[in-house]
Amino acid sequence: MLQCHVKGCDANNFPLELQEVVLEQEEAEFNEDFLKNMLGKLEYEALVATSLKLDIHDLPATMPEDAAYNDEFLQILHRVILETHIKSGKMVCPNCQHIYNIRDGIPNMLLAEHEV
Amino acid sequence: MPRFLIQFAQQHEEFRLPELEALATIENVQMTYEPSDYSLESPFLIVEIESAEKAALLLKRAILIKTITELWGIGSSWDELVVKVKEHPERWPQYLNTTFKFSVVTFGGTIEMKDKPAIINRFSFTGFMGKIDLKNPEEEFLLIADYGIDPNVTVAHTFYMGRLVGHGKRDLIEKFNVKKRKYIGNTTMDAELSLIMANQALCAPGKLVYDPFVGTGSFLMTCAHFGAMTVGSDIDGRQIRGKGKASIQSNCEQYNLKGRVLDALVFDVCHAPWRKFKGGLFDAIVTDPPYGVRAGAKTLGRKDPSKQATEPRMAVEEGVLAHLLPDYVPPTKPYEMSEVVADLLMFAVKNLVRGGRLVYWLPTVTEDYAIDDLPTHPCMELVANCEQAFGQWSRRLITMEKVADWDGEAALGPPSGDMNKSTTSPKCQGHFGFRDRYFAFGTVDSARRKKELKEAFQKGGKEGVAAYMKDQEKKKQQTQQQQDAEDARNV
Repeated sequence: MLQCHVKGCDANNFPLELQEVVLEQEEAEFNEDFLKNMLGKLEYEALVATSLKLDIHDLPATMPEDAAYNDEFLQILHRVILETHIKSGKMVCPNCQHIYNIRDGIPNMLLAEHEV
Repeated sequence: MPRFLIQFAQQHEEFRLPELEALATIENVQMTYEPSDYSLESPFLIVEIESAEKAALLLKRAILIKTITELWGIGSSWDELVVKVKEHPERWPQYLNTTFKFSVVTFGGTIEMKDKPAIINRFSFTGFMGKIDLKNPEEEFLLIADYGIDPNVTVAHTFYMGRLVGHGKRDLIEKFNVKKRKYIGNTTMDAELSLIMANQALCAPGKLVYDPFVGTGSFLMTCAHFGAMTVGSDIDGRQIRGKGKASIQSNCEQYNLKGRVLDALVFDVCHAPWRKFKGGLFDAIVTDPPYGVRAGAKTLGRKDPSKQATEPRMAVEEGVLAHLLPDYVPPTKPYEMSEVVADLLMFAVKNLVRGGRLVYWLPTVTEDYAIDDLPTHPCMELVANCEQAFGQWSRRLITMEKVADWDGEAALGPPSGDMNKSTTSPKCQGHFGFRDRYFAFGTVDSARRKKELKEAFQKGGKEGVAAYMKDQEKKKQQTQQQQDAEDARNV
């Protein structure tokens, strides 16, 4: 959902690459309506690529055509986007190499003075 | 169509109809009423709704509705009411054998306990034979006497009789009571208004709601309570992290909303990293922008643009770039209220889904406020504008709905941008430079105080001053007591 927003960094700025990540799994209620709402908003390829880097291999390479009615798929999606939390780590812009730190589960997306 | 009597709380009057409309939209209930029947000075409104089941849907999350009653009669005296109720005997048989109770309810007046049975007995013609159950009846019938809000009136002017459909959810105000919340800040929004905002935003399961000035996260909680997934951001990460065990996260735990409050991020909404998504990412934006009184709005950058670095700066320690240090905090500059509001609206235009809502507070100097102060945009339609008055200033809860897709071109309408220098509109916006003007009120107050103190001293020397101080203290206590009593009445 996040892209690099350093001034002038307009191309190849998504997805941010995760590094030195500490993950945490936390159970959450299954929310079908929300997942359906998000289907159209997700950049699915980026999600799969990012997940693979985090050693999460559950997502199919392409989104099933019947995604909205595919319970099995929705459950996997639920696990990946709602139950997997990044406790700490870094998000690095593939273009300008800006590093955004994640600490205590809170991403710091502030830009430096010369980047706004 | 059956008629229903809504009794609102006599509180936040301007917010009641917009909330009712929002509830009808959320629950998809068709409802009609005569707008001229509604008055801010009365808690009662008669509406027509298809059925009692539909009417009950409006209560599921109503904050400003106390009760909804299926109306069986209305009159200007108990006698007339009896006549009216008798006109529809077909309503009674289905309740012949249910357990029931009658309650006498008054507004703006009192009926003594001892007089109530006589009033109730006048309605025995309904012939109900079920058991009377005062604690847990299957049906409750209300006899309502309305005295109006004028405290000098001692006679009720309107009488209603009906079958109670149900109560609103005013108990949620207690659940989210800020005094019982583990983590709050000095700008935390009170529970009642936070809940009303969640209704205005049409929060519901499946929706994604965003607060760009999240602070201690009040709206994340109330919007999530109604089922939405919520996410927030703030330029000041300290508010999000909180202290020790008190943080936004601990509040989520307290209200058992952890799965619904997705994330809180640190960034400046003027430099927001949300991926651009054509159809809009958020279903609602709910926020209370900082207006500089208790917390000032900030944006990244330096006050003096000539001092702003364009290249990375070196830290004091040699060889390390300052912005790469773990405790680096970029410089910020003040963010003028009118710019905040204009930017917020533009952000909503770009990032809301169509049909999505922007719900925000606009502080405004009462004297200077005019409806055309609000920045407008062709993609956004004003749904509601409710005032909470504080004398010389007030804040307005603005609800807007995105009604058209953004074509990437249409810009904010007047009075956006640099309106203080505008030549076409010489009038100052009610929220322009709000912070400075708010503190100017304080100067007026303290000047008055100084003058009064001086007079007290001239009149009675030191004792006169002591008497004056005592008097002030007493006045303060009285106001507090009145406020407390009002709060107690309204819950």
